[in-house]
Amino acid sequence: MKVRLFIVLLFIAVPAVSLGAETVTVITKENAIRESCRFFAPVKATVHYGDALEVVSQEGDWFQVNFRGVPGCIHKSAVSKESFSLSKLHLTGSPKQSASGQEVALAGKGFNPQVEAAYRNQNPQLKFGEVNAIEGYKVSEIRLREFIRSGKLNPP
Amino acid sequence: MNRILYPILILVFFAVSCSQIDIGSIGQVAQETFSAAKPLSDEEEYYVGRAVAAQILSTYPLLENRSLTEYVNSVGETVALHSDRPVTYGGYHFAILNSSEINAFSCPGGIIFITRGTINAVRNEDELAAVLAHEVAHINHRDGVSAIQKARLTQVATLIGSQAAQRYTPAQLSQLVSAFEGSVDDVFKTIVVNGYGRSQEYHADESALSYLSRAGYDPSALEDFLERLVSQGQSSGGGIMKTHPATADRIERVKRETPSVKVDASAFKIRTRRFQEAVR
Repeated sequence: MKVRLFIVLLFIAVPAVSLGAETVTVITKENAIRESCRFFAPVKATVHYGDALEVVSQEGDWFQVNFRGVPGCIHKSAVSKESFSLSKLHLTGSPKQSASGQEVALAGKGFNPQVEAAYRNQNPQLKFGEVNAIEGYKVSEIRLREFIRSGKLNPP
Repeated sequence: MNRILYPILILVFFAVSCSQIDIGSIGQVAQETFSAAKPLSDEEEYYVGRAVAAQILSTYPLLENRSLTEYVNSVGETVALHSDRPVTYGGYHFAILNSSEINAFSCPGGIIFITRGTINAVRNEDELAAVLAHEVAHINHRDGVSAIQKARLTQVATLIGSQAAQRYTPAQLSQLVSAFEGSVDDVFKTIVVNGYGRSQEYHADESALSYLSRAGYDPSALEDFLERLVSQGQSSGGGIMKTHPATADRIERVKRETPSVKVDASAFKIRTRRFQEAVR
């Protein structure tokens, strides 16, 4: 009787869980899965553009997620509820596979590194090297946290 | 009993699993409707922003002062973390232009420029934060990319249709580069030459006040800075007036919308002291 009850519960529970499962996709170049739902919390994993994260719950502006078995938090502005697969995008000369309109939008429908490279070649006077230097400069989290604390500002 | 029960359970299992697909489809339709209002993806916005920044750097020289750049980045990052869009595809980056002009520019995606003239014109960290918060608000509102002519984006959409690509054919690439160049020029003209529309500027001021108070800065610093520009006669002619609506109008609105917050005088002094050290 107990075995039968267990099987019945299992059949009810599994679809119920899968119904609730939702994934979000990382839409920033790189981001962090944090131990708790706040900026500056310890980083548990690093995620990249296109990574799919399983949503466990939402806590204000943060999603509690699971990434390859690592639980943690990510800010809502770093992810999209839309999903896409980079592997579905075709390369020139390889067989074309269709991607949904949503995938096209998310994966960079027109302006991508190849377009930028061609634009740079046509406009060699533009200072892309300085842009790279500006992007490469980043105040570390430790220093920023200390800056906020010493200025008696509010932590984010 | 088992012969009847188990097949029923299996049918229930598959029926519920299939219903998940339907729910997903409904969600997808809703998401597609939503994203249709957004002209570019975050990644595309980033590439346009990089090219706009490269154009600005071809017009204004970059000031290479590591300690001042770190300070400006710290103030800017603090404000950005309290904005409505604290995370962008490539992140926020702040740089100083070696120009005596009083101005600041926000490139789509997150690169923000402030001139040396503006840093000299602000009197304390809270005023610097106010200027940067205004620029962060333009990025939050995607004001830069909204300047791109619709026809260019339609051209891109028509060109690639439903096919996504990581690499394009030479013919596709040539047309895309043309659309990209046009888009970059549209944004550059708006943010550097013509300026945003009045409503965009007022909205950016409104959001800046909110970010400042969330961060713990004194929001009235925005009004203080704008009033000083008017009193010093900086609000006419070039500079900030060239790319912003009449400063007097802005001051009136900012006055009305500034939230009343209790300012910690000792904290303000600490921040002013470190500002003075940074700009020395």
